[in-house]
Amino acid sequence: MLVEFDLIQRAKSGDDAAFNQVVQAYRKRILGTIARLIGRPEDVEDVGQEVFMRLYYSLDQLRTPEVFEPWLYRLTVNASYDYLRRQRRRNESRMADLSEQQVMMADAVAGGKQRADDVYKSQIREFVQSLLGEVSEEDRILLTLKEVEGLTLKELEKIYRVNENALKVRLFRARQRVLKAFRSVETARGEAKSKGEQEQ
Amino acid sequence: MEELDPKLRTLLDAYREACPDGEPTAGFMPGVWSRIEARRGSIAMLKRLAAATVVAAAAAALLMGAVLIPQYSNHEIYSATYVDALMDDTDLAAYADLTHAQEAHK
Repeated sequence: MLVEFDLIQRAKSGDDAAFNQVVQAYRKRILGTIARLIGRPEDVEDVGQEVFMRLYYSLDQLRTPEVFEPWLYRLTVNASYDYLRRQRRRNESRMADLSEQQVMMADAVAGGKQRADDVYKSQIREFVQSLLGEVSEEDRILLTLKEVEGLTLKELEKIYRVNENALKVRLFRARQRVLKAFRSVETARGEAKSKGEQEQ
Repeated sequence: MEELDPKLRTLLDAYREACPDGEPTAGFMPGVWSRIEARRGSIAMLKRLAAATVVAAAAAALLMGAVLIPQYSNHEIYSATYVDALMDDTDLAAYADLTHAQEAHK
């Protein structure tokens, strides 16, 4: 826990200063998690603010401060899930944004404005996002929490309030789908590489 | 539990590094509070709307009662006794004809 139980208790009883302290303690971690869940850095703060606003209005439903962290993760997962669903609806415009971003990135690289490391990280983010796009929003979030955030099955059980076996089944399926997409991309890359070598 | 493919594991680890826990901007906390206030405002408005609806419904019920109760309380059907209502409902002429017919039959 990043804060004392007493602070959560005070925030729960309506102490705004205590709530501020709770947000300040958790905001960095939560924003990082959101960034990895949604993969759109420009919208991370927006979703983060939504999470803490929901926390403010649902704190009175928190039974004990001991379950605060899974509770906060649950709110984060729900807000990220809502965001991803909205994004799916706006998929066409998102595609347009992406291509525009790619053009801007290429321009920046050509002009030497962006360091190679940033470009590499952007490519990794984009590639993983496209792989995670192959599974449903629910599976994508579960997979990210397990494989990227490194949460244990016990922690996931508390967040999702389902038993371990159900989680294992969902994780297995999500992994299989992502792996399939990953292998098909690798195969395509390999083919393109050998074609290039033959042409040379 | 089954281990993840090593290449995919490496890729996801690289993704973790490519998306570090970012430092929020200066506008983050004010943004959180403005959302809280905005929601508080909409909740207050909903409460006011609900209260106004309850008051309007109660006033309409009272008004309808005030208009309709005196109108219907003077109505014949509400002031008549059971016998009066029964008499009104019975065709005495037909009853008399039936009585005569029965006597003639005897």
